[in-house]
Amino acid sequence: MTLADLAFPPQDYSYAFLDDFAKRELRRRILKAVAIPGYQVPYASREMPMARGWGTGGLQVTLSIVGPRDVVKVIDQGDDASVNAANLRSFIARMAGVRTTTDALEATIIQSRHRIPEERLGERQVLVLQVPDPEPLRQVEANMSLAREMHAEADYARMWLGLYEQLVRYKEYTGGADYPVVVNGRYLMNPSPIPRWDNPKLHQAAHLTLLSAGREKRLYAVPPYTDVYPIEFDDVPFRVENQDGHVCRLTGVTQKFLTEIPQADGRALYEISDTDYGAKVVARERGEPRTIGATYYDDEGRFYHAGYLKRRAR
Amino acid sequence: MTYVAARGGEEAIKRSEELYRHLNGSIDRTLVRSIERHLPYLVDRVMGEGSLYAPELAALAIAQTGGDLYEAVLLLRAYRSTQPRLAYAEPIAPEDLITVRRISAAFKDIPGGQILGPSLDYSHRILQMDVLEEGRGGAPSPRDLLPLSPGDRGERAGVRGVDPLLAAVAAPPTYPAVAAWQRLTGLIDPLPDLEPIDSAALPDVTREPIAFPAPREHRLQSLSRADTGGVLAIAYSTMRGYGLTHPTVNELRLGYAEIRLRHPVTGIAFSAGRIRLSHAEVVTPFARGATKLGLGYAATMGWNEVKILAASMLDLEMENGTKHPAHAEEFVLEHTEPVESSGFCIHYKLPHYVTFNSILDSLRVAGSHETGESPSPNGGVGSTEPSEVGVET
Repeated sequence: MTLADLAFPPQDYSYAFLDDFAKRELRRRILKAVAIPGYQVPYASREMPMARGWGTGGLQVTLSIVGPRDVVKVIDQGDDASVNAANLRSFIARMAGVRTTTDALEATIIQSRHRIPEERLGERQVLVLQVPDPEPLRQVEANMSLAREMHAEADYARMWLGLYEQLVRYKEYTGGADYPVVVNGRYLMNPSPIPRWDNPKLHQAAHLTLLSAGREKRLYAVPPYTDVYPIEFDDVPFRVENQDGHVCRLTGVTQKFLTEIPQADGRALYEISDTDYGAKVVARERGEPRTIGATYYDDEGRFYHAGYLKRRAR
Repeated sequence: MTYVAARGGEEAIKRSEELYRHLNGSIDRTLVRSIERHLPYLVDRVMGEGSLYAPELAALAIAQTGGDLYEAVLLLRAYRSTQPRLAYAEPIAPEDLITVRRISAAFKDIPGGQILGPSLDYSHRILQMDVLEEGRGGAPSPRDLLPLSPGDRGERAGVRGVDPLLAAVAAPPTYPAVAAWQRLTGLIDPLPDLEPIDSAALPDVTREPIAFPAPREHRLQSLSRADTGGVLAIAYSTMRGYGLTHPTVNELRLGYAEIRLRHPVTGIAFSAGRIRLSHAEVVTPFARGATKLGLGYAATMGWNEVKILAASMLDLEMENGTKHPAHAEEFVLEHTEPVESSGFCIHYKLPHYVTFNSILDSLRVAGSHETGESPSPNGGVGSTEPSEVGVET
C-alpha cells in the first residue's frame, strides 16, 4: 500500500463546489433558520461562478444540502427549460453528480425562482426558493439596521398602515408577487417573488422551504407544518390572481397559475406556468402512464386547506 | 414566439456562448501576457475589485470577457471564493512601502519630500496619432511611458546601456507617513497603543456577513474591493455639495508592498513576493466637533488613484457625517459592491413573466374598481367576480 492509494483522488473543486468551511457555515445558518421560522439569518454568501441576482443564494443552499443520492429539479417561472434554470441545473449536476428531473414528485430538492409547483410537495422534499430581496419592511424602511430592530420588536405597524392606505386609495391590496406573509405568528417574511397564487402553498406545508438571498446575504426558512398567513385585514381577505375563464392554450388546463401570452389582434391567450405539470396532463390524455400528484388547487380553483382562502364580503 | 426564444435550455446556452466566442475571437497566452504587461492599470483595477492579487489571472479574466470589467471582476471573485486560506501575511505599515509616488496637497513640502513618480497628471491629453502610423519610430511608445517595476530597471538598462529614467542618486525606497508629523504636533489624535495584530483573528468581510454599524475592518475591506465608478459617483456627490465636507489630500501613495509570511515551522519571516498597493489619507478640520484633524483612509491592491481618493473621502464622511446617504455606511458600502450591484442590475434580463402577470392582475382589479368594468383583457370573464377566485365553496 502506498500513500497515493490512501489519498483521495485530486479534484479541481470540492464536492458540490463549496469548500467544507462554507458548507458548514451554511448548514449551521440553515439549522438556525429552521429553528426560528421566518427569521432572516445573515450568512457570508460566497461569490459563485454566476452573476449575483441570478440564483446564487438558492444555489449555495442547494449545494450545501445536496448529496449523491438526491434528485434535483430546477425551475424558473415554473419552467424547467428556462435558460437560467437549465444553467443552474447543469451546474448542480456537474458539481454534485446528482440525477436531475423535471418531475416535482420525484425530486428530493427543488430549486425554484418565482414559483411553487402545482402538485403538492411531500415531507421528504425540500423547496429552495431564490430570493432577490429578503426584507419585507424595505417598502416602508430603506435602512436595514432599522428594519432589523423593527423585526426584533415585531413592530409591523407601518406595514399595516401601508395596507390600509392601499385600500383607501385603490379599494384593493395592490401587492403583486412577493406578497408578505406572517410566519408562525411572529416574523413578517417575503415569500420570494412567487405569485400570490403560491402563497397559500406555504401554509401547513408538508415540505421544508428554504429561502436564500445571495446578494443580500440572508437565508430563512418555513419548516414543515408551520402557519403562514398573508397580511390581510379580517374584513378584506387577501386574494390570489384571477384564473377564472383562463384556459391553457397548450393543455386545456384551468385553475392553475396561467401566464398571459399577448396576441397580435389585441387578445391574450394563456399558458400553464408549471410546464412539467402541463406535460403530465398532455401525456395522460395521450394515454401515456404518468403519475400526476394531488394539486394544491383543484380544477374548480378550491385550495386544499378548506377555509384558508376566504370569500370576500361586498 | 417570444417566450420560446427565452427557452431552449442547455442547447441555447451553449450556442449563445459559442456565438460570443466566435464574434470576439479566440484568446491565447500571448494576448494574456500582453494585457498583463501593457494594461497594468486595468489589471490593477480588476485585481482591486476582485480582491485577489493575481496579475496573470486578472489579465486572463479581462481577455476571457472581452474587457467587460464587471464580468472580469466576477470571474476573479468566483475563483477566489474557492481558494483556501493557507496563511496570513504580516501587516504592512505605510512606512514600509517601497514608494514610487507620494504626494501631499496639504503642504508645499513634507518630511522626505514630494515624490511625483510615474503619473500622467501633468501630461497633455493629446492622442499620439503617430503611434498609429506604420513604420514610424522615435516617439516614445506607450510601453516606455508605463511605470517601471523594480525588476525592470536592470533589464532596461541592459538593453539601452544607460536608462535616462535612472537618477544618478537613487531615491530612498521608503518614506514616513505625513500623518506621523501631524500626530507629533497634536493635529491628529495619537495612534492607540495596539496589541500585536493577530491577522487570522481580524474580521473578514469575505468570510462573514457585514452588519451595520460595520467594524472598521469591514468598512475598509469593503472600500478596498468597491467598484471604482461606484465610490467615485457617491464621493463626487459629496465633493459637489450634497453633504459637503472639506477634505484635503494629506497623502497619496503608490508603491510596492512586501508580503511577509512566517514559516509555519521555523517561525522565520520571509517575503512571499511584492504587490502593487496604493493608499490615500484625507483630512478635515473640526471632525466631530474637536479642534483636531479627522482622518479618512483607503487602500487597495494595485494602483488606482481615483478609487482611493474617493474611498478615503467616503471613509472620512461616514465617520463624521450627517444623515445624508453619502455619509451613511450602509448606503455607501452596499451600493458600491461591484459584483452584487452589477449582477442584480443584469438580472432584470431574466424572465419575470410570472411576477409581471401578478402585477397586471392587481393593476386590473384595482382599475376595475374605478371603472366598474371587467378586469380581464379578454372581456370574457365579466360575470365572475375577481374576488371569488380560489374561493372555498
